[in-house]
Amino acid sequence: MSFLTLVGVEFKKIKRSNILMILLVASVILWVPSILNAKINFGMQAEGISPENNFFIQGFMGMAWFMFPASMVVGTVLLSQTERANKGILKMLSLPIGTAKLCIAKFAILLTLAASQIFMMTGVYYISAAISSGTQDYNFILPPLFVLKEISLIFLSAIPMIAFFWMLSVCIQTPIFSIGIGLASIVPSVLIINTKAWFAYPMSYPFFVITAEYGKLATNLDTAQVELIPWIPVAALITILCLGISCLRFGQAERK
Amino acid sequence: MSVFLECKKVKRTGFLPAFFGGGILAAAVPVINMAVRSEMYLNQPGSPIQILLGANWQMMTMLNVLLVVAGTCLLYHTEYADNAMQKMKSLPIRESSIFFSKAVLTVFMSLFVLVIQAGAVAFCSYHWFEIGSGFFGELCKCFGYSFLLMLPCIILSLLISEACKNMWVSLGIGVVCVFTATILPEANFALSLFPFAMPFQIFASADITQQAHYICGAIAELAVCGLAQLIFIKIRRSFE
Repeated sequence: MSFLTLVGVEFKKIKRSNILMILLVASVILWVPSILNAKINFGMQAEGISPENNFFIQGFMGMAWFMFPASMVVGTVLLSQTERANKGILKMLSLPIGTAKLCIAKFAILLTLAASQIFMMTGVYYISAAISSGTQDYNFILPPLFVLKEISLIFLSAIPMIAFFWMLSVCIQTPIFSIGIGLASIVPSVLIINTKAWFAYPMSYPFFVITAEYGKLATNLDTAQVELIPWIPVAALITILCLGISCLRFGQAERK
Repeated sequence: MSVFLECKKVKRTGFLPAFFGGGILAAAVPVINMAVRSEMYLNQPGSPIQILLGANWQMMTMLNVLLVVAGTCLLYHTEYADNAMQKMKSLPIRESSIFFSKAVLTVFMSLFVLVIQAGAVAFCSYHWFEIGSGFFGELCKCFGYSFLLMLPCIILSLLISEACKNMWVSLGIGVVCVFTATILPEANFALSLFPFAMPFQIFASADITQQAHYICGAIAELAVCGLAQLIFIKIRRSFE
């Protein structure tokens, strides 16, 4: 079976899982306060950020801090539990497919979920920006190219984090521990982005990147900027390590 | 009897170690915070408890609420995963009594978690501040209040887990609710009555009428959630 067919099969499995519904609700809830408090964006002269940029970046900071990582934890639960119920995973493992390939296919689904959540966020952002433009009589809508650049930055920086969550859910069979460690690891990311060792902590990447962007857009605000040199190698190493471990461990518990 | 049954069920699910670990983790927050940057807090006005909770309660509650959400999801996941619920339904016990014994278990574990955290706050006050007279009374009041405000959150997340047979749906809804609670404006009383937002309240920073309002709100929500659970089971049974 080719890799793409495998990914297609995995997609079919989560077709009726309602996961997209949950992701959509999360994105809608995120933007409601921004629409209601659209006026706040005009009081940001001290930071030196324009209202439309502030509107955009505050919403995405809210997402990158908690909602997005937590949704990815939910996604890992979905991928691991759909097959553990009724022992579906045993049937998959009995097929002549490499377990590593299967593991990477599932990881690809997780990345797709991440991308679809970011796209939903962007869609809802444009809707809420249009609504706020109407209510505040000010154009909040940003050019699509700029938005595309920002959301791809968030997505790329989230890959090591997603790989880490995936490793947790593959290696730890007891669901409460994989969920608990995943969720608990998100909470301190607020503190970690203020330290020098942020690049060693994959859960803080998306939030750090978006905070750095905030610092770039706000002329009077000095936030830490991304330093590519320790970050990219460390992030690549973490991703490869996490994916390698999960490929090795995938299906081990069932084969015993 | 059925509470003991629930205790036996959670034996190998990691429920108890998870609450233990989560409690320790949240209790470590004030200790680490004080160890790293105690100079920021030592000169602040107010009692030690006020300062410590003001600085750390947000993050501690976040961990507590996430722990409750994950724990309650797990409690019902064990029932639904291998259709154990059908066997439970064939026993001569009420379905709602399963719910309430699970609730008692979670409430008890949350109390345990809060006691660990109260211990950590007492340790911090002893080590970095000085314990004045009436300290332990204030500590008990403070954490008793937090415990009471946590109850609606426990019952509601248990209700969500009961309603959704798939673990990711209940976890997803729980996570979305926690997230909603973090973005709700704190000044608005009606919105801060949202069960997932209530545990974020701090006893010391509220005046007596406000505290009374929150306590009444918590009790009302408990009653509503309990009633909703009874009705929900009746309705669902008629559709199965």
